[in-house]
Amino acid sequence: MSHEDTNRDDNHDVEQRLRAALRPVDPGAGFVGGVMARIAAERPRSARLPRAPAAASWLTFALAASIVLALLVTHQQQARRTEQGLEARRQLIQALRVAGDKLDLASRIVNAQQPPPNSSDSGA
Amino acid sequence: MSGDEACTSRALLARATAGDTAAFGALVRMHQRSVYSLALRMLSDRHQAEDLAQDVFLQLYRSLAALESEDHLSFWLRRVTMHRAIDRLRRERRYAAMPLADAEIVASDSADADPILERRLRGLLEELAPAARAVIVLRYQEDLDPVEIGRTLKMSVNTVKSHLKRSLALLRAALAVPGSGAGGGSPTPPRPLPSGHRLLI
Repeated sequence: MSHEDTNRDDNHDVEQRLRAALRPVDPGAGFVGGVMARIAAERPRSARLPRAPAAASWLTFALAASIVLALLVTHQQQARRTEQGLEARRQLIQALRVAGDKLDLASRIVNAQQPPPNSSDSGA
Repeated sequence: MSGDEACTSRALLARATAGDTAAFGALVRMHQRSVYSLALRMLSDRHQAEDLAQDVFLQLYRSLAALESEDHLSFWLRRVTMHRAIDRLRRERRYAAMPLADAEIVASDSADADPILERRLRGLLEELAPAARAVIVLRYQEDLDPVEIGRTLKMSVNTVKSHLKRSLALLRAALAVPGSGAGGGSPTPPRPLPSGHRLLI
């Protein structure tokens, strides 16, 4: 038998023995119960988890709604102020126009009441 | 796994994924032997092996939605078990301090060769580095080929083959198996490991 054949036989023998030595074995009787108990202990914790995101999303929604509301109110106030400013400007222009008309009228009356310059008087 | 078992396992996986804990319990019963044995052969301690196997099934419970098939489940269980075991061994470095004395004493006292040799082999396995031990356990306990071992351990096929070759040579040398005595009836006691020799690969 060659050296290679001997090595192959030896390897085969070690492999057979390894298979025998590494036969699968069962865990203790309470193994499955232990796993299920750990899962049951974990479930209430994980059951609480969805509530946290729900609360967080409610809070986010409330915050977003508040911001939108605040922006809306600010925008309305700004619009009202702009409208009031424009109205005041219109009234001022109207008042100035009326005042101008009055002044114009007064000026014309004053000019009409003044006697025209007399040429004979100027000669005397 | 037979066709019926595969169907049952597939149905159980589907039910467990849908939240049926009884189906998950049945899945645990179906795979506990393999997962626990892998953990035991890696850690060489029943309590630690049970603890690790329970951790693996707990992780499985959380990851059920990601599993696509029964084959995927078996692959996933093996991979997670071996990686957790290797991590634990590397953290604790138990393999470097594991003495072989017990196995050698029993071997020299008994004439019944097979159980003694099996025990001695398991003792020698404890001396292997975690990755090399994982390769041997997957090859000879789970009967996986080098490609499957490589996928499970995220290792190249060449590395797997190299681990197998070197580990077998070292184990063969340590056991001093006679070439013609493969039948198990040989009373030849195993050669003791030279002092300070560690099969760390």
